[in-house]
Amino acid sequence: MIDRYRNFRTVAAVGIALGLAAFLLALPPFTIRTTIVPIVLGTGALALGLAALSQGERRLGGFAIGVGFLGTIGGLWAQGVDEDTLGAVLTGGLLASTLRFATPLAYAAMGGIFSERSGVVNIGLEGMMLIGAFFAVWGSVWSGSWVVGVATAMLSGGLLALVHAVFSIHLRADQIVSGFAVNLLALGLTGYLYSSIYPEGTTKGQVKRVPSLENAFDFLGWVPGSDLSLLVWLMFLVVILSYVVLFKTPIGLRIRSVGEHPRAADTVGISVYGIRYAAVITSGVLAALGGAFLSIGFTGRFTENMTGGRGYIALAAVIFGKWRPGWAFVATLLFGFGFALAIPLQREADISSNVISTLPYVLTLIAVAGVIGRSIPPAAVGRPYVKQ
Amino acid sequence: MADDAPLLELKGITKRFPGVVANDRVDFDLRRGEVHALLGENGAGKSTLVNVLYGLYRPDEGEILINGKPVELGSPRDAIDLGIGMVHQHFMLIPVMTVAENIVLGVEPTREKVLLDEDAAEERVKQIARSFKFAIDPHARIENIGVGQQQRVEILKALFRGAEILILDEPTAVLTPQEALELFGILRTLTQEGMSVIFISHKLHEVLEIADRVTVLRRGKKIETLPREGATQEQLAKLMVGREVFLRVDKKPAEPGEPLLQVEDLHVLDQRGLPAVRGVSFEVRAGEIVGIAGVDGNGQTELIDALTGLTKVQNGVIRIAGNDITRDSTRERFDEGIGHIPEDRQRRGLILDFTLAENIGLHDYRNEPNSRFGWLRPGRLVTLARRLLKEFDVRGGGPTTLASSLSGGNQQKVVIAREVERDPRVLVAGQPTRGLDVGAIEFVHNRLVEERDEGRAVLLVSLELEEIMSLSDRILVIFGGEIVGEYGPDVTEEELGVAMTGGTREAVA
Amino acid sequence: MSVTPPAQVPEAEEAYSLRTGAQELATGFLVPLAATLLAFLIGGLVVLLTGHNPITAYRAIFEGAGFNWPYEWLTGQDTRASGRDLQQTLRTATPLILSALAVAFSFRCGLFNIGGQGQYWVGFIFALLVGTHLEGLSRPLHVLLCVAAGILGGAFWGGIAGFLRATVGAHEVITTIMLNWIAIYGGKWLFELDGPLQGAAPSLPRSEIIFDSATLWIIWSPYLHAGFLIALLALVVYYVVLNRTTLGFEVRAVGFNAEAARYGGINVRKSYFLALAISGAFAGLAGTVDLLGVKYAVDQSDFDTNFVAFTAIAVALLGRNKAVGILLAGLLFAALSTGTSSRNLDPDVFEPALATDLATMIQALVIFFVGAELLIVYLWRGTRRYARLGRPPAEEPAPL
Repeated sequence: MIDRYRNFRTVAAVGIALGLAAFLLALPPFTIRTTIVPIVLGTGALALGLAALSQGERRLGGFAIGVGFLGTIGGLWAQGVDEDTLGAVLTGGLLASTLRFATPLAYAAMGGIFSERSGVVNIGLEGMMLIGAFFAVWGSVWSGSWVVGVATAMLSGGLLALVHAVFSIHLRADQIVSGFAVNLLALGLTGYLYSSIYPEGTTKGQVKRVPSLENAFDFLGWVPGSDLSLLVWLMFLVVILSYVVLFKTPIGLRIRSVGEHPRAADTVGISVYGIRYAAVITSGVLAALGGAFLSIGFTGRFTENMTGGRGYIALAAVIFGKWRPGWAFVATLLFGFGFALAIPLQREADISSNVISTLPYVLTLIAVAGVIGRSIPPAAVGRPYVKQ
Repeated sequence: MADDAPLLELKGITKRFPGVVANDRVDFDLRRGEVHALLGENGAGKSTLVNVLYGLYRPDEGEILINGKPVELGSPRDAIDLGIGMVHQHFMLIPVMTVAENIVLGVEPTREKVLLDEDAAEERVKQIARSFKFAIDPHARIENIGVGQQQRVEILKALFRGAEILILDEPTAVLTPQEALELFGILRTLTQEGMSVIFISHKLHEVLEIADRVTVLRRGKKIETLPREGATQEQLAKLMVGREVFLRVDKKPAEPGEPLLQVEDLHVLDQRGLPAVRGVSFEVRAGEIVGIAGVDGNGQTELIDALTGLTKVQNGVIRIAGNDITRDSTRERFDEGIGHIPEDRQRRGLILDFTLAENIGLHDYRNEPNSRFGWLRPGRLVTLARRLLKEFDVRGGGPTTLASSLSGGNQQKVVIAREVERDPRVLVAGQPTRGLDVGAIEFVHNRLVEERDEGRAVLLVSLELEEIMSLSDRILVIFGGEIVGEYGPDVTEEELGVAMTGGTREAVA
Repeated sequence: MSVTPPAQVPEAEEAYSLRTGAQELATGFLVPLAATLLAFLIGGLVVLLTGHNPITAYRAIFEGAGFNWPYEWLTGQDTRASGRDLQQTLRTATPLILSALAVAFSFRCGLFNIGGQGQYWVGFIFALLVGTHLEGLSRPLHVLLCVAAGILGGAFWGGIAGFLRATVGAHEVITTIMLNWIAIYGGKWLFELDGPLQGAAPSLPRSEIIFDSATLWIIWSPYLHAGFLIALLALVVYYVVLNRTTLGFEVRAVGFNAEAARYGGINVRKSYFLALAISGAFAGLAGTVDLLGVKYAVDQSDFDTNFVAFTAIAVALLGRNKAVGILLAGLLFAALSTGTSSRNLDPDVFEPALATDLATMIQALVIFFVGAELLIVYLWRGTRRYARLGRPPAEEPAPL
């Protein structure tokens, strides 16, 4: 116990050091003159601070977050980046855009939590998102209604998850391999269907997008984030519901018991397979919602492999968040922030978009390296259950 | 105490598994208010039979009647609904959850139909605990309470579901003799309340103490059912094994030489980072067997792991023949002369997907003549394996057979062959006979004594008091990570039992 | 803990013994075969549902892959077209086989290296650096240096994941995927306009071309280069290292049962690191032979379109991580890819755009079916007792 805290004190201390470095490297004698340095270091500090915080090291963790934030701003300021640039980078728009990037991750992460809490590793989140993204477009074009689009997305995600469930629960295939196959299948299937159903692509008018709540806020004038899709707001609900279901209901107790000790659950008459199927399918439905947000909630179209590894990042968020909805959501916000920074930075600070595109992945790598060894997964995760 | 109409009857139960008939037309009946013991060796089919009764296995033949009516038991749910509760040998508790959560799991009280009502759960758990005079904190996490407490939680779990028939599978395996006595007290209370108990054991004296009737199983068949009155240990032992048993191990008095293993003020943490071994000091001399007795979970595993380099030592010194090996790696320790028969041969002792030759080479594959300049010479491993398999009478396969296809006893022979072949100065044996049948146990015991007579220092860690007492030349008792007593071979079980629960701690200190 | 077989029950031990002789054969050969057939069957169904004839589609793919070459050659027909197709198939198989060895090697150590693509690119870029410098070296030496650099690059990228796994226990599945993206975007950055390694043409996001002295020899004109021989050699090396060296012994021991390996005195962390580094070396070699034998340079857009190492995961799984299996599976998947390329597939028979995705789907299905031995055994023997087959789950917890 004592040792554990000491470790996280170190993690937080490294975070603080990074935050300070973000500032100091911009000063003589280093005088580094590229905005990427303070931003990467500062974000690293945030990540480590959060990691420490989530593991119970509150004081130093919070401190690391603060230093990371101030160090970034200070570093940018010291570099003589003029205030306009700074202002353009750090705006209310950044918050909205963080949310926008975090939303698909959060849906998928909640899905991942359900699946993994029940004891089934779900690498297939990526594929379930992708298939959701495609069928959201398909449903929306076919019916002319975004509601149908969302519904077909959820259905398709659930069905693909069912495939993963059958293979990893009944057929006891390696869950990671099966999940990987799910991703490949989704990639091939969506690509195939897209080029055979829409040889010319889709047009803006065809795809009915999920509306935002703009009108609802009209009477207030402009509200930051009022142009966000309905699916962003639904995501908050899903996060809260995930927490309530998992930790405040009998179903949640059963899901967790199946993930920790399936035989114990079996011996009190809980259907291990039933719970696992339900949890995996739920995870597919949620991941597909995340995919639907990407296509009809945000970009308004489908492109091949449009998820671009977001499913894996969501999985990292699950681990980072210790299989808890709240913490996982915070992690997705962090990753979302990494994505969101790319756009203004590229515009304002003339940094190659390719370099900035690596940011979320670097962040995930740091986050996973920082906490994973200490983040304790459900005891039975990844192990097929053999009924006696 | 018990009325005679059977509450439960099993008729002609047959259960086959690939290659083995675990239950062969077994009949069994249970009367209201009695404790009926199922006695048999490891592998006699006791667990299979109660798993059939609990709906975990489906019998291939036979029927089950409750109150004279035939019933279908397709799942534990069916069994629970029919008032059958089971306390498994390996507890079916979720370590990270609370006592209350474990007890109500599957029959949770709710608020507004959907929300878990934690207060009601705790209240009801308290209530039922009070009515059966159990002291238990519903709020505690399972991983933080003792084994005896955990067992009570298991019993409460069954009672909470309205069990009238309680099955206990080897319930005393994890308990000290004193805790076992407390358990018997609980069982007597329960039978007075009208509960009926099926008590599984392979320990004769326990069965004679608690059971009203005894049914003996051997190799899947029912041998006899007899009342406790008039039954003797010898009679039961003969029924159980099918021949006269000699529980004594023949051995000469020890002739201890110089100390080969010395441990001074050893401190080790467990996986969770809590102190598990706290300042242990002892030594083992050439030509003696030192037994470490204790209840499971008192630091034995961590002690063995620390001796063999599998876990880090916090503090203290370990010496082999005078050389300090405290900071050495596992491999270096093997080379210094430690042999290690691990507690769990399937998880640790053997790589089941490796051939026997590869398993035998597990420590020495890097050394000449098994390899040279990083090149493996499989032929040499096979030659070595062939010789050892013959010498140790391993049956069921040759050098290129996969380890997984051997029986447990033969697997253990392979492990012992490998460890002994390296001519270790110190042999550490962790529960070397766990899960073996009588024949294999005799082999292992005799071999350990032979190794002692060869002049090795043998450290035997076991949860079986009988094993410790019949093999050891000196006995150390471990409790709470400390050595709390040292005894000669003529100590009584009662004395050890008291020490194992920390009873003589002050006296020693 | 949750799935420990009950200690008392003899059948728990009996269940292990099922995996002998006949079943070994079944899982080693019949299962991959059945899995492949099943995958093609379902793929055909998709083709049928979208209004095409699966038989003509498959036949067109078969011929597009040049598999009709032996027949034409034996019957003395004009083999120029089919020969070229077959060369392309073998050429495509080369990086597939090498990347599959990367996956397989880590698998044998109980690790799942999904990062082959990143390791491929880092190896590729390392080799490119050597290949575009050192003018005037003799050809064998220059090639050798490039290969060494590529292997080093791949090993470095794989080694990062290995290091993280060995030290902080970060799961390699996540880290290697992240490293993939970092390598891909990093590569795009290197060769973008005004990027650090952009070639001489100012308006092209493209690298320099390697010197002629760094190119691999063509062994079957016009397409097939000596990299195919390197891949065959790598298969032998893979087999020998795993089965005939102490390192391989350790890797296999850790892969089968890390806890027992640790007990046996093997340094498990070191094995994890080495396995991922060696695994990366194979993938780096794949990138290297692609550079030296096919590409000679790299376009920025290549980073968006080349996913050979992902396909290679399916190759390794289908090949059961065995050298011979990987060779066969590599040829099959290469044929799928060549046979569906727009150059070789007659668009009147089946559109190549669809066929490429069809190939991806078939790969996914193959992975599913190979992964689920039980399904195949179940289909093979009917429903009886299938639930009892298979192996007890591994004790090593998956920290995911």
